[in-house]
Amino acid sequence: MKWVPLGLVRYTFCLGGLSVFFFLLCILTGPFLMMYYIPSVDRAWADVQDLSNVVPFGRFLRNLHRWSGTLMVICVPVHMLRVFLQGAYKPPRQLNWLVGVTLLLLTYLMAFTGYLLPWDNEAYWAATVGMTMGENSPIVGSKGPFSILSQDKDIAYILRGGTMLGQPSLTRFFFAHCVAIPGAMAGLMGLHFFNIHKAGGMSGPL
Amino acid sequence: MTVVKGEALRSRDLYERPPKYELFFPNFVMKELCVGLFFLIILFIWSYFKNAPLYELADPTKTPAHIKAAWYFVGLQELLAYFDPYLAGVIIPTFILAGLYLAPFLDPDPIKGIGRFAWKERGFAMYSFIGGFAFWWLLIIVGWYLRGPLWAFYWPWEDHHIIKPPPPPPWSFPLPAGIAYIIAFFGLGITVPGVIFPNFFYRMGVVRYVITMFLWTFMIFALAKMFLNNAFNLKYILVTPWFNI
Amino acid sequence: MGETVAKAEKVVKTTRREALRKGLFWGCWGIFIGFAGMLGISIVRYAYPRIVWEPSSTFKIGKPDDYAVGSVTVMGDRRVFLIRTEGGFYALSAICTHLGCQPIWEQDNQVFMCPCHGGKFYKDGINFAGPPPRPLPRFLMTFAPDGRMMVDKAKEVGLDFILKV
Ligand code: HEM
Ligand code: HEM
Ligand code: FES
Repeated sequence: MKWVPLGLVRYTFCLGGLSVFFFLLCILTGPFLMMYYIPSVDRAWADVQDLSNVVPFGRFLRNLHRWSGTLMVICVPVHMLRVFLQGAYKPPRQLNWLVGVTLLLLTYLMAFTGYLLPWDNEAYWAATVGMTMGENSPIVGSKGPFSILSQDKDIAYILRGGTMLGQPSLTRFFFAHCVAIPGAMAGLMGLHFFNIHKAGGMSGPL
Repeated sequence: MTVVKGEALRSRDLYERPPKYELFFPNFVMKELCVGLFFLIILFIWSYFKNAPLYELADPTKTPAHIKAAWYFVGLQELLAYFDPYLAGVIIPTFILAGLYLAPFLDPDPIKGIGRFAWKERGFAMYSFIGGFAFWWLLIIVGWYLRGPLWAFYWPWEDHHIIKPPPPPPWSFPLPAGIAYIIAFFGLGITVPGVIFPNFFYRMGVVRYVITMFLWTFMIFALAKMFLNNAFNLKYILVTPWFNI
Repeated sequence: MGETVAKAEKVVKTTRREALRKGLFWGCWGIFIGFAGMLGISIVRYAYPRIVWEPSSTFKIGKPDDYAVGSVTVMGDRRVFLIRTEGGFYALSAICTHLGCQPIWEQDNQVFMCPCHGGKFYKDGINFAGPPPRPLPRFLMTFAPDGRMMVDKAKEVGLDFILKV
């Protein structure tokens, strides 16, 4: 039995709830895309092509995955905006804010790695730019200022599994998109909700 | 309370409802689900009529002239066009994240304005945040609508087929000028607001004040560099053998 | 008297038990963190491939007569621009020094233009507009014994390097 103030929907604008909702839709449709999608540089693009043109309702599922991911990328920052503007990060909710910022980062990483999976031209060059950004990080990148690691040891090497983009990179992006990041996000979301519960529910005017 | 025979007793029948409150489950959850249902309908219609884009097969031997990131990263792409990669790709995002992570600890007041829009009491914090947030979306809009082939700037009424001529060569501040500019910028940015608004300074305390104003000045610093680059074709403010800003 | 002794014994016992309990507690945490750390380090090391299948950094590009004077040849699959001037040849990296896209050769303006963030380079590889921080590097070129030219992408040379023909 938990009572919450009437009009809560007006306070939260449902933005957190909608973020969960779109995340669940992605989680629901993503694994079905995995049934036809093979993360190989020779196959991936053709598989997405098949998914859109041959597999019954494949295009629909892919569209759903894409558009709910898009809506999530809109919803999460706006949720953050509403949390900030209503001062809902103040004690006792600081920890939840920290969890939230991490979730924001992971959401963007999901959107980035997902975009690379079809291995079309946009994906390839987006991946190139992203990985070269890693290469240019200070200290840990081989081309950044004060770099200490050579090109076959730096952070970009570990991210793409080589000194250039190729099959190992796609495999890694696939792993990140379908296993590592969603797992971390699910765990953090659990913590996010537990924190709300522990703070005695959502913030309201005092 | 009357209990009708034959009807199961539910927990919500047993307790008095506090005024202005409702049950989290089912009442509140149902409301959220209704909103979810609304968006589910929209998503189905949208997914039925609008296809997710799929471009040509990746061609590692040639970058297309009209390359553009996914819309949510176009803001970053726009930022990358003004700075060295280690700055735009690593340092600036790190500072943004650091600022976000630090937000609850930079706010000196633990209770003011929780759960409502306290425009008067928390004006500075709220307008700062909205400013940064709006700027991110502004970058996305500029990158998405005003950048043409080869990432040249085109007004909406200009023809994308006309390739823009290359700009004149850029220039950089000499080293002493660069050092002076940076010291003056950050020195003034961190001290002046505290002198003008001493109350603000005392309310924040030294540590919070310095971190907040540093992040603020950094934001303005980046904006100023973008302006100088656009207006005067300035490439670097500071040139050193190890890194350039 | 006997009572106080018993009491003292009890205190000693409890503090000893307390210390033991604390030791066990932190010991368990220590072991856990140690093992988690070992797992973490092994996973990081695991992610560094020991062998990668990547094309060789040296390759042959044919005889000088195959290329017209003043031409810029885009060798996309090698990510190299081969430029022939009156004096000879040089090979530029076709990887933008900004973030790795491939600049496009604009014949009309005689410049390389990068599509990703608008970087621009002269024909000699010098960056003159947009964000790229450095000129396009030049690679070492040599003649193979059979008279064909070779490029070695692992060896960068100065901006004035030219393979004379
Ligand atoms: C936060 C949640 C997620 C977001 C924001 C997201 C986003 C994306 C995006 C933008 C794409 C590119 C789609 C396209 O090319 O049209 C994509 C593709 C893909 N995603 Fe996700 N995704 C999420 C969760 C998941 C999960 C949990 C899985 C699987 C377990 C998954 C599996 C896939 C697969 C297999 C593809 C490639 C198929 C395709 O490109 O259409 N996604 N995702
Ligand atoms: C995947 C991303 C996220 C999900 C699924 C999520 C989910 C939720 C949900 C369902 C709530 C309940 C209240 C509401 O609906 O607004 C909530 C509250 C909250 N969220 Fe998030 N959130 C996410 C990201 C973030 C981010 C990016 C931040 C901030 C940086 C954040 C900070 C908070 C805070 C502080 C609360 C408590 C608000 C209050 O008590 O009024 N969350 N979140
Ligand atoms: S990658 Fe060439 S300008 Fe950014």
